[in-house]
Amino acid sequence: MKRTTTHWALAGLAILMATSTMSCGGDAGLEISDAWGLPSPSVATTGAFFLTITNNGAEDDALIGATSPACGAAELHESSMDDQGAMTMQPVAGGRIAVPAGETAVLEQGGLHVMCINKLEEFTEGAQLDLTLQFEKAGDIPLTVEIRER
Amino acid sequence: MTDTQETVRSSSVGRLLPTVLAITVVLALFAWLVLPRLRPYQFNGTVLQSAMPVPDFTLTSADGPVSLSDFRGKLVVLYFGYTFCPDVCPTTLSDVNKALAQLGNEAEDVQMIMVSVDPARDDPAKLADYVQFFNPTYVGVTGTDDEVRSAATPFGIWYEAHAEEGASGYLVDHVATLNVIDREGHLKLVIGPGTGADAIAADLEYMLR
Ligand SMILES: [Cu+2]
Repeated sequence: MKRTTTHWALAGLAILMATSTMSCGGDAGLEISDAWGLPSPSVATTGAFFLTITNNGAEDDALIGATSPACGAAELHESSMDDQGAMTMQPVAGGRIAVPAGETAVLEQGGLHVMCINKLEEFTEGAQLDLTLQFEKAGDIPLTVEIRER
Repeated sequence: MTDTQETVRSSSVGRLLPTVLAITVVLALFAWLVLPRLRPYQFNGTVLQSAMPVPDFTLTSADGPVSLSDFRGKLVVLYFGYTFCPDVCPTTLSDVNKALAQLGNEAEDVQMIMVSVDPARDDPAKLADYVQFFNPTYVGVTGTDDEVRSAATPFGIWYEAHAEEGASGYLVDHVATLNVIDREGHLKLVIGPGTGADAIAADLEYMLR
């Protein structure tokens, strides 16, 4: 009886190890989800991409840049409201968005975004745009951004 | 003796019970049906009490000069922004469009106007293309820097271009509120950035009554 229990426990441990190894594979534990941008007219020179980065790995990482064939330049920006009630926007401090191990960085409306300057493609609803995120440790991660209403 | 007292008490409670129930029901109905109507509507924006109409302005659209007073009799939703703005401007213009869709036919009594605070980059034709992407009834106006600034100041709107090290060249910090002017030309409501379409629609609907 005792031996059976030990066997089951070992089997369980083996399965657990196998699954955790699997989820650790790929992009060093970084998971990018919900990448999207607002539709904007062709005359608008800029657009913004929003997304969520989850660091499932054991190592801290940081988003340090982005490139996209849809943008003349892509920069990491932060919008905020200043103390006088004005909306302002700046490249992120230090040029990086930290994604510590086990944490999630959210790029969302009114805050952090990947700023697309000099749009080269149409940001019409339903468009799928290519974007490559550059991380300090994980390197380049390509993904698709969906243009849609929020 | 104790027996008699018990009987008297329970029978008086028995007689009172229907009355108590009836009063409870009436109070509950009152609270449910009448009280919500007595409570004033809670605006999502900030209500202003201005005795004087806001000063008029005349700026330039792709179709010629546009004055604020051209829309007397309608609600005017006035927004100061610029086409280079990637985040708050498209979000706001799109939210107002969704709010107008919720208003149905009543949306005909609402005029959205965007004033560009970046006259150097936004000419009237570009601005028209920009705003009409969000809603074909939107009007986009601009003018010289002096004209735009004197139109903005009475609304407490200020803006300032700041140089940026990246590819943007410069960006414009701007107060990104929606200013709602009533049918008589009074500034009545200021709605902050990030207020969703549903909340905007509710405020406009109330002001249209
Ligand atoms: Cu930006």
